[in-house]
Amino acid sequence: MSKKEKNAAQHIKRSTGDWIFDIAVIILFTLFTFICIFPFYYLLINTISDNDLVTSGRVNFIPLLKAAEGGTVFGMQFNNYIALQNVQDLGSAITVTVLRTIIGTALMVITSAWAGYLVTKQKMWKRSFWYRFLVITMYFNAGLVPWYMNMLMMGLTDNFLAYIIPGMVAPYNIILVKTYIESIPASLEESAIIDGASTTKVWMKIIVPLSIPILATIAIFGAVGNWNSFQDSLLLMNNRPDLYTLQHRLYIYLNSSSNLGAMMSQGGTISEQAAASMLNQRVIQYTVSMVSIIPILLVYPFMQRYFVKGIMLGAVKG
Amino acid sequence: MQSTLKAREPQVQAASLSERIPLWIYRLMALLAGMALFFPPANPGRVSEKINEAASLFTTAVSRGTITNSMGRILRSQWIQDADITLLMIACAVVMLGVLACGAGACMSLGNTAMRKKGLLPSLLGGPVMAVGLFLIRLTYNRMLAHGTEVDKLDRIGIMLPGGFWVYCAFAGLLFLSALIALFTMDKDTHGQNRMEMDEKYKLFLMMLPVILLSFIFAYLPIWGWRYAFFDYKPGGTLSADNFVGFKWFGSLFNDPATVRDLLRVLRNTLIMSGLGIATSWLPIAFAVLLAEVRSTKFQRVVQTLTTIPNFISWVLVYAIAICIFSTDGFLNSFLTNVMHQTGANTNYLQIADHTWLKMLLWGTWKGIGWSAIIYIAGIAGIDQQLYEAARVDGANRFRCIWHITIPGLMPTYMVMLLMSIAGILSNGMEQYLVFENAMNKDVIEVLDLYVYHIGIGSNQIPLSTVVGISKSLVGVTLLFAANGISKAIRGESII
Repeated sequence: MSKKEKNAAQHIKRSTGDWIFDIAVIILFTLFTFICIFPFYYLLINTISDNDLVTSGRVNFIPLLKAAEGGTVFGMQFNNYIALQNVQDLGSAITVTVLRTIIGTALMVITSAWAGYLVTKQKMWKRSFWYRFLVITMYFNAGLVPWYMNMLMMGLTDNFLAYIIPGMVAPYNIILVKTYIESIPASLEESAIIDGASTTKVWMKIIVPLSIPILATIAIFGAVGNWNSFQDSLLLMNNRPDLYTLQHRLYIYLNSSSNLGAMMSQGGTISEQAAASMLNQRVIQYTVSMVSIIPILLVYPFMQRYFVKGIMLGAVKG
Repeated sequence: MQSTLKAREPQVQAASLSERIPLWIYRLMALLAGMALFFPPANPGRVSEKINEAASLFTTAVSRGTITNSMGRILRSQWIQDADITLLMIACAVVMLGVLACGAGACMSLGNTAMRKKGLLPSLLGGPVMAVGLFLIRLTYNRMLAHGTEVDKLDRIGIMLPGGFWVYCAFAGLLFLSALIALFTMDKDTHGQNRMEMDEKYKLFLMMLPVILLSFIFAYLPIWGWRYAFFDYKPGGTLSADNFVGFKWFGSLFNDPATVRDLLRVLRNTLIMSGLGIATSWLPIAFAVLLAEVRSTKFQRVVQTLTTIPNFISWVLVYAIAICIFSTDGFLNSFLTNVMHQTGANTNYLQIADHTWLKMLLWGTWKGIGWSAIIYIAGIAGIDQQLYEAARVDGANRFRCIWHITIPGLMPTYMVMLLMSIAGILSNGMEQYLVFENAMNKDVIEVLDLYVYHIGIGSNQIPLSTVVGISKSLVGVTLLFAANGISKAIRGESII
């Protein structure tokens, strides 16, 4: 029975109680959705309104600029975003985060695809043992300090590689890929093997192209995770502020109660007007926050179906 | 087709026992030597006490910074010459090269006779190469010793020959010896099969090996750090028999009044916040069930999309949003002032410690409910529509349908989620609490993970925080197995 038929069947006997219930549910969801979305909107309008109006708390629902005769008028300006180039250390944080998102995600996807394929091979020596060896690490960790000491021992403190290498083996993603590959008809792989293709070749020419949906899913999860990463930067990069990730930088900005001099780098080629527009520390915080949210909001609508697919596959792991 | 398949199967001659034993010894030695590359106590290159104790052979070979990071004065005054450090790095790299050659030989020894024969070359070479590297380390040692005597600062630079040096000497010797024995005992008759082949099972294993090693290094090796729990360790210090304290730190979890007080407070916060999370874990089901009752699928999709967004932003950004809504000059206050015309609305709600647990729960719900509901929404879509039809024919209204069909249909998924959250009751992560923590709510917001971070990284009490971490890990694993056992007993399915 299709959804439409089901709706039609329900439609026949809708009592007053049903109507009230339906309306209540719709109001409830509209309210909750508003609560989920409004903060993002509020953040946005505060970065594109006149900064004086923001400071005096006049910007509540729509972006406002000062009108000529002293009032306020609907409008927007982007000077805050332009002035970001003068915020200290923000550039390096963005570079580091973009780099780790690209390199880290790519390597993680390749490793997961490779390992996920290999663990489907029944012939491997001690296959199930090695599979468990990988999966167990999801449920067990040695603790924060031993982990930190281990990274220290590997020379991965104050080192960009610390963002890349430990994230390469992601057991959960390996499980997802494995589950997906097992659903691919075995005959495709077998025929290639009969034609004389090696394991690597089968992986490259058959498995990877057929697994694109799941690889895209884990790539998106990985990219979001890398973009949002904060803890490893906080723990490992003590002597290398230039390697802080964007979220770590933002955390520092949010907690800095010092004056703006600390945040704004001295000199530079920025225009007077833009510099003046950054006189509000809150606005800097809001604008940097917006910058780190925007990529996720941009990518999100296109990727939602992959997210859903990912969580569903995860539910039938094994 | 059968015959083609057969012809491609590599025909690997079974090796005799006398041939296999030296090979197995060889592989074992190569594996141990390879692992020791990343194992600081076995570092043959730590020829001075001033070289970082946490530097492994691998680190010594590749990272000059790690070697020299505690040598400031020594290097500036040239008590140890830069050239000697370069020599040390080269020496360590040569040792590594030898180990790698042995590793390659060990891998090739898994193949057929032709491959094993070829593999003997790197196997036999590996030991001597390691010996050359060790000789270079010895040379560095001698040079540093001579230079140290010359400038009369031997006591300051602490030149020594580390235990790892002798360990690697043993490795080199044993590897060479077993390769030599293998050379003599090996059956060199290839039965006319001169192409190098390897059993499929070993080939696949070797392809998997890099992944296994990475997993070992980053997920299993940290367990070696548990040893800090048994020493009076201070950062920058050393572990030795002198500061070995046995189970003193474990005891302090129960004996030391300050620690006990902290732990009880932290455990209370942890359990309450996890408990609140578990108590509200039915909310995503309610969300999904109610959303499924909405007739417009477009509305459903929009709500689902928009309510999932908060799940994909980090806790730092959630905190940024909290600031823009609830801080002194945030939305709430300016709304009260400008729209409701209330005077004196300038409370910083984030600085108020009241109801912290509830607030944290609400933030968690705000961030997570849309995402958690997805799995139940998909679950509802998977329920057989005929059940609803049949129920309606029997006169059930929609509430009875929900109660008797939808909710029972979602129960198995819910049970898994519930058991997993019970197993993770001690791990609520630290990011959320770290970002929301301030001087006001410090006492009520600190959960176990955050406490471990504060005492371990913040105030450098490494042994104590290791002990807390170990206890937490062990309890977590026990709970997980218990949850798994319950799941097996009730549902006949395991959850891990």
